[in-house]
Amino acid sequence: MLLEARGITKAFGSFKAVDDASVTLERGDILGLIGPNGAGKSTFFNCLTGDLKTTSGRVLFEGGNITDFAPEQRAGLGLARTFQVPQTFEGMTVLENVMIGAFLRTAHRKEAETRARAVLERVGMTRLADAPARSLGTPGRKRLEIARALATEPKVLLLDEAMAGLNANEVKLAIDLVRDIHRSGITLVIVEHIMEVIMSLASRVMVFHQGKEIARGSPREVTSNPAVIEAYLGKRAAKAAAGHTPVELMGGPDL
Amino acid sequence: MRRLVWLSVVAAIAIAYPLLLSSPFQQRLGALVLLYAIAASAWNIVGGYAGQVSVGHVVFFGCGAYAAMGSYAKFGLSPLFGIPGGIVLAVALAAIIGVPTLRLSGHYFSMATIAVAETMRLIVTNTEWLGAAVGLSGPTVPRNVFDLSFLSSLPYYYLFLAVLAITLLVTWWMTNSRMGFYLRAIKDSERAARSLGAPASRTKLYAYMLSAALTSVAGALYAMMFGFVDPESGLGILISVKILIMAALGGAGLLFGPLVGAAILVPLEEISNSWLGGKGAGLTFVVYGAIIVVIARFQPGGLLSLFTGRRKPGADKGAGHAP
Repeated sequence: MLLEARGITKAFGSFKAVDDASVTLERGDILGLIGPNGAGKSTFFNCLTGDLKTTSGRVLFEGGNITDFAPEQRAGLGLARTFQVPQTFEGMTVLENVMIGAFLRTAHRKEAETRARAVLERVGMTRLADAPARSLGTPGRKRLEIARALATEPKVLLLDEAMAGLNANEVKLAIDLVRDIHRSGITLVIVEHIMEVIMSLASRVMVFHQGKEIARGSPREVTSNPAVIEAYLGKRAAKAAAGHTPVELMGGPDL
Repeated sequence: MRRLVWLSVVAAIAIAYPLLLSSPFQQRLGALVLLYAIAASAWNIVGGYAGQVSVGHVVFFGCGAYAAMGSYAKFGLSPLFGIPGGIVLAVALAAIIGVPTLRLSGHYFSMATIAVAETMRLIVTNTEWLGAAVGLSGPTVPRNVFDLSFLSSLPYYYLFLAVLAITLLVTWWMTNSRMGFYLRAIKDSERAARSLGAPASRTKLYAYMLSAALTSVAGALYAMMFGFVDPESGLGILISVKILIMAALGGAGLLFGPLVGAAILVPLEEISNSWLGGKGAGLTFVVYGAIIVVIARFQPGGLLSLFTGRRKPGADKGAGHAP
């Protein structure tokens, strides 16, 4: 077991954004977290990365309890993440952004630079290495987020809507990149709105609704689950939709 | 390469200045520029690179100044012995102040540092052992060269130049190390930096302590040159403000920014003081206020950023935003 969450609850005041959610992640998994807006998937995600402190429940990494670990400690163990709204270091070049990640595994500037260049090569951004990061558009920033996280040499990479804001072609490129990352032996957790991404990438899916897990299984299983369709579309629409394939209804593969 | 040429030119000018412009006024002016450049460069480490706008840096300045004068007034030692004492004091104080306040973001950190500085000033003003409101004096007649009490400003000039060189070297070394990269990252997005493994609190604290140590040296040198320290000259909030404005004017987060700022503002203050006499002192701060407004509005990255072409994107969190 690589990463495990047991009975995670995150409450803001009396509102439970995540209510008793559990998940296990095996080496080589690609776990998709889906659900309508405000379902709690991002909150759950942030509990895994340490950006939010859990109200109750435990997070285990390789068997060790990391519930009280700060984000930087989790990064040290091999847990890397990207942000939904890219948190680019605006005052740096693209290369320097990636070097921040590389510095986790080496204290030497030269070595960090060498490693960062290798990562940029891998994600196809070599040409942009010396460009100011603030000159990047959304696709570039999203890719830079991934590059930085990769530079920390993670065991698990958590992607928070890495495809949001990309056009269809850019999504395809990003999916290829994620596949490539997975092939290199990195386990992935992806939060995603775009169903095509989940369908084509995830080996297992967990569906959130109103803070609770309502379904889990293979992508095909959960998208044909009536509870899931209802959560996305509401009761009446779910009935009306009975004859259609769920993938179509959720912004399907025609993207 | 071009950078190296520029550097040699600046160094040559700095070394030749007091020999070329050798009136006592000009030499004293040069020494003061260098002194404030040391303090502003020290501030720059935490205020510029780390983006933590400390307005209470005079506390560390005071540590150095009081330690230097104290080592003479209390123990009959050369003020030089006060320098390591001042550094230890400043670093310890920085750790005590930094652990709780560096968690505060933006303006709240600035406010907390002001509160600490003013509290310190009031405590010292009421401490008989530290000379209370009168302060402490250095040796009136130097016993030997190690008392560092000279009539001419020339020895101070070269002493300050050497210390400034060390300060800039330390800063340069820091910016090229992992710590410097982490600081810049933390300034842009602390959350992202932490997610990539940068220990944000610890890195900021180290920067704060390093900055405090160097600021205390500036304070010790200041007290040596003037031969005394009192709560106003050693712990007055206006010193903090001056240091901050110099760094911001020249370019916070740029290696030579504070030097440029000091080279502009110190002469401005000295000249306006000598023209207007005592009445000028107030006017200087009117000018400072105007400068803050102008920097914040038009060039948040400071003057040097005009030449480096590096707009300072962190400016909205940094010094340019002060009032």
